[in-house]
Amino acid sequence: MEKTKSQPTNRVGILSHLLLLLSVFVIATCGLIYELIAGTLASYLLGDSITQFSTIIGTYLFAMGIGSWFSKYLDGDLLRWFIRIEILVGIVGGCSAPILFAIFEHVASFRLVLYTFVGMTGILVGLEIPLLMRILKNNFVFKDLVSNIFTFDYIGGLLASLIFPLVLVPYLGLIRTSLFFGLLNIFVALLLLFRFKEARQYRNRFIVIISLSVIVFLVAFAYAEKIMAYSESMTFQDKVIYSKSTQYQRIVITKNNRELRLFLNGNLQFSSADEYRYHEALIHPAMQALPNAKNVMVLGGGDGLAVRELLKYPQLQSIKLIDLDPGMTRLFQKNEMLTQLNKHALNDKKVQVINTDAYNFVRTDSNKYQLIIIDFPDPANYSVGKLYTNSFYKEIYRILADDGIVVVQSTSPYIGRRSFWCIDHTIASVGFLTMPYHTYVPSFGEWGYVMATKNHSWKNDGTFAAGLRYVNAATIRDMMFFPPDMAEVPTEINRLNNQVLVHYFENDWGPYAH
Amino acid sequence: MHTDPKYNRRIFFKQLLAGSALLTAGMQTSCKNKNPLGHITGGIVGANSKAGHLLRNIDALPKPSRQINADVLIIGSGISGLSAKRWLHQSRIKNVMLIEMDDHFGGNAHHGKNAVSAYPWGAHYIPVPDSRNRELIDFLKETGVITGFDDTGVPVYNEYYLCMDPEERLFINGMWQDGIVPEAGVPAADKEQYRRFASMINEFKIAVGTDGKDAFAIPLDHSSADEQYRKLDKITFGQYVRDLGFTSKSLLWYLEYGCKDDYGCNLETTSAWAGIHYFASRKGRGSNTGAAGVLTWPEGNGFLMENLKKQSDNGDIFSSQLAYKIQEHESGTEVYVYDVNRKESYTVLAKKVLMASPQYVNKHLLGGLGSAIREKAVADFHYAPWVIANITLSKMPRQRGFPLCWDNVIYGTASVGYVDANHQGLVNSIKRVITFYLPLVNEQPDVARRKALATKYEHWLEIITAELEHAHPGITECIEHADVWIWGHGMIAPCPGFVWGESRRVAAAPIANKVFFAHSDLCGISIFEEAFYQGIRAAKEIIQSL
Repeated sequence: MEKTKSQPTNRVGILSHLLLLLSVFVIATCGLIYELIAGTLASYLLGDSITQFSTIIGTYLFAMGIGSWFSKYLDGDLLRWFIRIEILVGIVGGCSAPILFAIFEHVASFRLVLYTFVGMTGILVGLEIPLLMRILKNNFVFKDLVSNIFTFDYIGGLLASLIFPLVLVPYLGLIRTSLFFGLLNIFVALLLLFRFKEARQYRNRFIVIISLSVIVFLVAFAYAEKIMAYSESMTFQDKVIYSKSTQYQRIVITKNNRELRLFLNGNLQFSSADEYRYHEALIHPAMQALPNAKNVMVLGGGDGLAVRELLKYPQLQSIKLIDLDPGMTRLFQKNEMLTQLNKHALNDKKVQVINTDAYNFVRTDSNKYQLIIIDFPDPANYSVGKLYTNSFYKEIYRILADDGIVVVQSTSPYIGRRSFWCIDHTIASVGFLTMPYHTYVPSFGEWGYVMATKNHSWKNDGTFAAGLRYVNAATIRDMMFFPPDMAEVPTEINRLNNQVLVHYFENDWGPYAH
Repeated sequence: MHTDPKYNRRIFFKQLLAGSALLTAGMQTSCKNKNPLGHITGGIVGANSKAGHLLRNIDALPKPSRQINADVLIIGSGISGLSAKRWLHQSRIKNVMLIEMDDHFGGNAHHGKNAVSAYPWGAHYIPVPDSRNRELIDFLKETGVITGFDDTGVPVYNEYYLCMDPEERLFINGMWQDGIVPEAGVPAADKEQYRRFASMINEFKIAVGTDGKDAFAIPLDHSSADEQYRKLDKITFGQYVRDLGFTSKSLLWYLEYGCKDDYGCNLETTSAWAGIHYFASRKGRGSNTGAAGVLTWPEGNGFLMENLKKQSDNGDIFSSQLAYKIQEHESGTEVYVYDVNRKESYTVLAKKVLMASPQYVNKHLLGGLGSAIREKAVADFHYAPWVIANITLSKMPRQRGFPLCWDNVIYGTASVGYVDANHQGLVNSIKRVITFYLPLVNEQPDVARRKALATKYEHWLEIITAELEHAHPGITECIEHADVWIWGHGMIAPCPGFVWGESRRVAAAPIANKVFFAHSDLCGISIFEEAFYQGIRAAKEIIQSL
């Protein structure tokens, strides 16, 4: 008996019946996708993914509850309500990511807008299933209805949760995913409009709305990159696995199956695949010449990778790391993936991490160091530019031991040729003897350093730490040679009151900026 | 079931729009407070000196209960007073005493400090000085501002004190541009006028009068007496540039900005001589800076003032001591002083008195001592009122164009812009203090002064934030704290005829070889170098008379 009852009646044919269940499936998939988009976007833009995901899911589920509760007040032509809501879900859910991205930097309370979106989508999605159950209640025995609907609902959920990270985010990106599923919702509405005769009387009106939204969505789909670029220059090729805005900068870590990359404010700091070249070249040419070094200061370099190289020399007794951003050093002290990379360097008992402004620290410091490693970001703006001035190097001269060595990361001598030589000349202008060198780091390109001493104490005949992959005496000899296209050019001295380096850097790198 | 299609469509659109309406509302609630300035703390922290107002009714002050003897008594701790004190100290003159009516020292070089930065309450820089200004060069050497001299004898300046780059920018046509001479969107014809003006100024810079002196010098008393230059003092700067065919709106704006910035005057109240002096008198050199280089500190000229004080303080400099009457005495001059804190009066019997106070104060003190000629001369002294605000920002809001500089000027506004107090601080701070300078040039000084003193704090905030919002939309939200200082008599105004007229010479003349005068108002322009020079000039006169 039950079997016959569960057969579709004449009112809704078998196809229509399947169609409605298909829409459950699509609705469930879309619903979860919107939720995932909101969560991902929130953790990307706001950082702290656990909190973001947790509060977004909570808000979303709660809003769905509100929707379900409201569903009992919808009466009359239920199919019409359903189509209408379907279109609305498509519009609200579909444009959520593009709008959120576009306004992120322009509204004071981004969270409010975000949760308004999440709440609205949740309410609309929450309305859908109860409505659909009421539409179908005459065609099914209750237990079949519940079982069918929730089966499709959960399958849709599974599908969404699998394709979102594996297919959608890598291939479509958040904005296009959002638009795509909006279109899917609208498409369901369209299908229902044409499939059901009852819909004929309001079909044309809805078609107008649908066509308008589809046009807008398609345009947005085509310009997704622009929206993204408008919101932030974030054209990361790989999956973003960590992102956080600290007081000072935006830290993003991306990952693919080969390497881990760290970006600060969108600028690549290292790739785990070849950072050893950069950091070995930064540390070992100086360290092999300092068998008696005890005190080292590292300025910048909050990733701890330079410190990792330093710790290969047991004679060192104290390493001070000065980095402005506690968010950065904490990350490289706590995150397992990253501490694996820096071999827990920042947790070593010889290492003292001090989060403060480097200029001020150096200016008031009265200790002496045998080695000072200066690993600041490139001089792309005036506040970093101060840390490359003759005044700053005078302070460095004061705290460097007489037989000590300074090494300064000095941007690319190939792309930033004038910038590189300006740094060299500025260091030399305060009385240092400079030894510029460079190396090739595949993910950066040709990269430059300036080593400086107070006298001719540096020699290339010392002992290297064991297990180096790149630097040895022959490599160092090579690194000291500058081919004609990177050879020395005349520059001014970078001073606090002219900041010529920032201007050189802008001009050197300008053609490469996108 | 038939429903009215219109009704349904309306509902549908309503629902459709509800979403976007809700979103817009969401975006706006965060921006719209009931009172958009309600979150800002602070107040008017300085206005016309409270102690100074006691002068209006000196009969109410207690009778002197004791007497102090001094060889020299200096009244006023502005730059001229401290400069005189230092000079006397270095000349080993003993038994000198300096009194100041306010509870702080320094006059226009007053400064403050909070957790974010030190900041100026008035003057905040000096241009790199002319190397012929030996006294000033020596002082800068003693304070470590000059660290040495290069092979050719040119001073090497301490680079922490030279204004760091980027120095100045202008907000014009919706963008910040590098430099304050308007460039963005300025027509070629205007730029031709700029070039003509610049070459004229360059000639004035090197011009020498028939007496072999520079046409325009600092201190200005060292300028040539040649009539072809001095006659420029008789007309307004506005008249002068118009007669020469300078019509460019943006050039005239720039020239007026100069008058406002240094003199608190506009083109029609500044003498042409003073207007040109602003542009043509800076002839400094440094081995590590050009003639356009300026020296500045987070606390502004407070740095120089504290050093002057340090170099002359023998435990004989006192604040909150109001001189209220001066009279002749057989063995010198008797000065009645009211101790504002102890609420008691005493007299100082001084062989010599140096009045390093402005003439509008002096006329109350001198009483019968001042001659009728002197009183008439002092009536020619006009003072420009200023409003200065120190504003603490939680961060600098987003902005378009050239990044934050030391000096930030907004084209076509009443103020002369703001200075980033953190600029010389070296520390990478997200919070900032900016010092906002507003000269009140649009009305007669006494009218503007009276109105300013009657204006409430909230109204000043409205005026200031309206200007800042023009260049930095959303900055009001970032303001945590704002203090406002009203300088009723901010600085002497070099009105036409004043600099080379008789009045300032009459007012500077000593009385009976007993009472001497030193103040920047006696020069006609209110800058550190002039006040510094005035102090030394008066100190030399006193030493000679002792």
